[in-house]
Amino acid sequence: MNNSIASAPNQQSQFRQTCSTVWMKCKAFFSGNPPAIIGVSLIMVILLGALFAPILSSHNPDKRVARPHVAPNAEHILGSTRNGRDVFSQVLYGARKTLAVSLFAGIIAMSIAIAVGVTSGYMGGKVDEWMNFATNVFLVFPQLPLLIVLAAFLGQVGSMVIAVLLGFTSWPWGARVIRSQTMAIRNKEFIISAEVMGESKIRIILVEILPNLISIVFGGFLGTVIYAMGAEAALGFLGLGDATEVSWGSMLYWAQVSSSLYTGAWWEMLVPAIALALTGGALALINMSIDQVSNPKLKTGPHLKLWKKMNHETEKRRGLV
Amino acid sequence: MSFLLRRLSFYFTAFLIAISFNFLLPRMMPGNPIDALFAAAQGKMDPAQMDAIKEMYGFMDGSFFEQYIAYIQSVFTLDLGPSVLMFPIDVTTVVGMSLPWTMFLALGSLIVALIIGVSIGTYSAYRRDGFFGQFVPPFLAFLSNFPYIVTALLLFYFFGLELELLPLAYTYDPSLAPGFSLEFIGSVAKHAILPMGSMILVGIATWVFNMRNAMINVLGEDYVTMAEAKGLSSYRVMYRYAGRNAILPVATAIAMAIGFSFAGSIMTEVVFNYQGLGNILLKGIMARDYPLIQAILLILVTAVLVANFIADLLYVWLDPRISK
Amino acid sequence: MKKPLLEINNLCVDYVSPNGVARAVNNVSLSIAPGETLGIAGESGCGKSTLAFAITRLHKAPALISEGEIIYNGRDILKMTNKELREFRWNDVSIVFQSAMNSLNPVITIGEQLTDVIVAHKRISVKQASIKAKELLTVVGIHGDRLSSFPHQLSGGMRQRVVIAIALALEPKLIIMDEPTTALDVVVEREILNELYDLKEKFGFSILFISHDLSLMGEIADRIGIMYAGNLIEIGDAKTVFNNPSHPYTKGLLASFPTIHGPKERLYGIPGDPVNLLNLPTGCNFQKRCNDCMDICKKDDPILAELNVDYKVACHKF
Repeated sequence: MNNSIASAPNQQSQFRQTCSTVWMKCKAFFSGNPPAIIGVSLIMVILLGALFAPILSSHNPDKRVARPHVAPNAEHILGSTRNGRDVFSQVLYGARKTLAVSLFAGIIAMSIAIAVGVTSGYMGGKVDEWMNFATNVFLVFPQLPLLIVLAAFLGQVGSMVIAVLLGFTSWPWGARVIRSQTMAIRNKEFIISAEVMGESKIRIILVEILPNLISIVFGGFLGTVIYAMGAEAALGFLGLGDATEVSWGSMLYWAQVSSSLYTGAWWEMLVPAIALALTGGALALINMSIDQVSNPKLKTGPHLKLWKKMNHETEKRRGLV
Repeated sequence: MSFLLRRLSFYFTAFLIAISFNFLLPRMMPGNPIDALFAAAQGKMDPAQMDAIKEMYGFMDGSFFEQYIAYIQSVFTLDLGPSVLMFPIDVTTVVGMSLPWTMFLALGSLIVALIIGVSIGTYSAYRRDGFFGQFVPPFLAFLSNFPYIVTALLLFYFFGLELELLPLAYTYDPSLAPGFSLEFIGSVAKHAILPMGSMILVGIATWVFNMRNAMINVLGEDYVTMAEAKGLSSYRVMYRYAGRNAILPVATAIAMAIGFSFAGSIMTEVVFNYQGLGNILLKGIMARDYPLIQAILLILVTAVLVANFIADLLYVWLDPRISK
Repeated sequence: MKKPLLEINNLCVDYVSPNGVARAVNNVSLSIAPGETLGIAGESGCGKSTLAFAITRLHKAPALISEGEIIYNGRDILKMTNKELREFRWNDVSIVFQSAMNSLNPVITIGEQLTDVIVAHKRISVKQASIKAKELLTVVGIHGDRLSSFPHQLSGGMRQRVVIAIALALEPKLIIMDEPTTALDVVVEREILNELYDLKEKFGFSILFISHDLSLMGEIADRIGIMYAGNLIEIGDAKTVFNNPSHPYTKGLLASFPTIHGPKERLYGIPGDPVNLLNLPTGCNFQKRCNDCMDICKKDDPILAELNVDYKVACHKF
């Protein structure tokens, strides 16, 4: 009885503490880091747009709702396509498909990368030799052409098939980075002491190694998402995806088929293109900021501004400026 | 075994795996592979020709293994038969015509992006707390991570269509005869600016960040401090002592970038209607010219492997600690 | 006393960290006479290497030489322009860094690393410089053919000899040695130290010897300075500091080292941890670990004051 009463406020304070550390970490991430702020806000806008597509969109993206190639106006704020679809509604719904494919591909790729990289790096020996060989073979093959050919052989494939294909072809880079990081951690004291204490390999991997890989895994995940988005767009543009689905890639395809750029209907092509560009760029900014924060050597901070000021003052005093 | 021999045997194994994959690909498809593979050729070729090609691809009577051996044979003798799309021209000839242009785009843009990126990276490490170091890398990270296809389309639209500054299609002015004339080379250069430019833009951030991070690591090393203590010029400290070492991890990243660059070339060629492998590949896909598609995949793999080996040679040259 | 070669007056070095400004070297004054070997000892983090780095202004952000002056030959090094500084470096003061492994660039031949410093400072062709480089290698006991070797092709001891050869290249008046032998095994350490004596005899340079190893210091230094938490707390002739120190910290430091000769004695460590430079106590920095702590130690900073001629201690006991 007593225990539970005593532990309740304790739990609460622990919760509060966790919250405050998370808050501190967020603050440290964003403070004095404009790229992180820009990247995260852009991604938030895009995610919200995708999430609330049914509410925000003005028309059904699959229906003919306007005359062909209507220029942007009050009714169709981003104009219409050759087939009379509303571009604004399409770009919102397309975000859902494109982001889903990219995220799904990223999750698959990073899962394989973690499995291969950690096993390879932690086990060492023959297991490592073979896994590393497989990783390197995959790494030297040009993945996108491979993907194009696979998609071509399979016929016009749905977006989820593309996501799976992307996931299964883009893991090697992540695996390689995770492997070398795991190898670096493996020889640290805390792993060796856990081994000496007789903890199981699985437990060591899950509890001791994985938490130390979080930033590298997340970085790899964002990188794969950017790559997958580009590949999805490329396959769509080439007409290798399912053109009846609405995604940013298929929007590019229809814009290309209707020669929208030549006929002056730039909005049909440029709207999905810019959506892709902003998403890719924003993700890259976030990725860069994470690297900046997690890599101690890259750290910059307000204290360096103070240093600069002090340095300037002493140099002035010594007559060097 | 020395480093280069080990790499060579690795590339050879990788090549064999690529051939095997190519061999298995049509056999993994649903339905009868032969029919699928040569559906598009029906009516274009006579039955005797078709049989000959089928045999070349290992689709003959006999065990799976015999078929495999037959396929490998035809690959190593470069005897890949005629293209369906451009019948009766040989697949090898078609690929041979467009490969140089793809190599030109892929490797040319890679080298230019590498040089510019490494310079910017070095300088932004040197000025990491200044405006340049704070502003330029994030800006390039943003710009460089537009998907290949989007960068190509945007450049195509703004510089080609709107401003009409540069040609929108073809590798060179079709009215010119290829040769070593100034006019022809100028035309090739002019036609390469946009496709190459878009690939450089996409490729550059990798090098900026690789070089900047490597440089920041190296700048903390004792040998850089000692070089400074020796009173050497800051130029020499920067480039000979720090840059020389920082370039090593960058060189290892080249291997991966080669594959990306070829992939990028394929996308870009389609947008700018550039007569390289990518363009041919897409046409092949549209015409269901499977022999051609397979040959292109194979030649791409080969090109990437060879380029990788060259990158290895470069690395051996750069790092004396690797046994030759 | 002879006119000093190098005079450091009230030198302060700050580290600007995210959590505040830490003073790594606080108000240190000392001088080195021509031909003299001055040893600076102390625990890691006491500021001894920071002090050494300051002499040729090698500090980069976030470190900063905030106060004081370093006078060499009548000129304040801290007031030199970049060009003057570059000419001054190595020509007058050279440095042997802690680890030869890390202070030689792994992808540049030792020949180039030797000749480039000669070419940078003297009007001399590369060819003449490499003849000079060959001589220098021979002086430190390495065959001249080794010029074309890369550092990884040499043993640890040979690498440190190369570093010493580079330090001698311009025949400087002062060589700073920052724990030059810690990375080596005892036998090689002994060899190199003996050689150093001979070279010093031959070239007549001064040495600023930085080490945590007091017994080594007692052997080679003419004078010894002891640093604690950025302060110079005791400085004087080597014999007295080594055999009959005054400051409680120096006593503790000496008691924590085994003596090779003489009877086996119990080793005593110094209780407690070094102070946090960001959170210094009022009064003496050593108060928490000191057995002789008095009331005044908790109020006033002790000042480095002359105890005897040429012997100074910073402690309220004296």
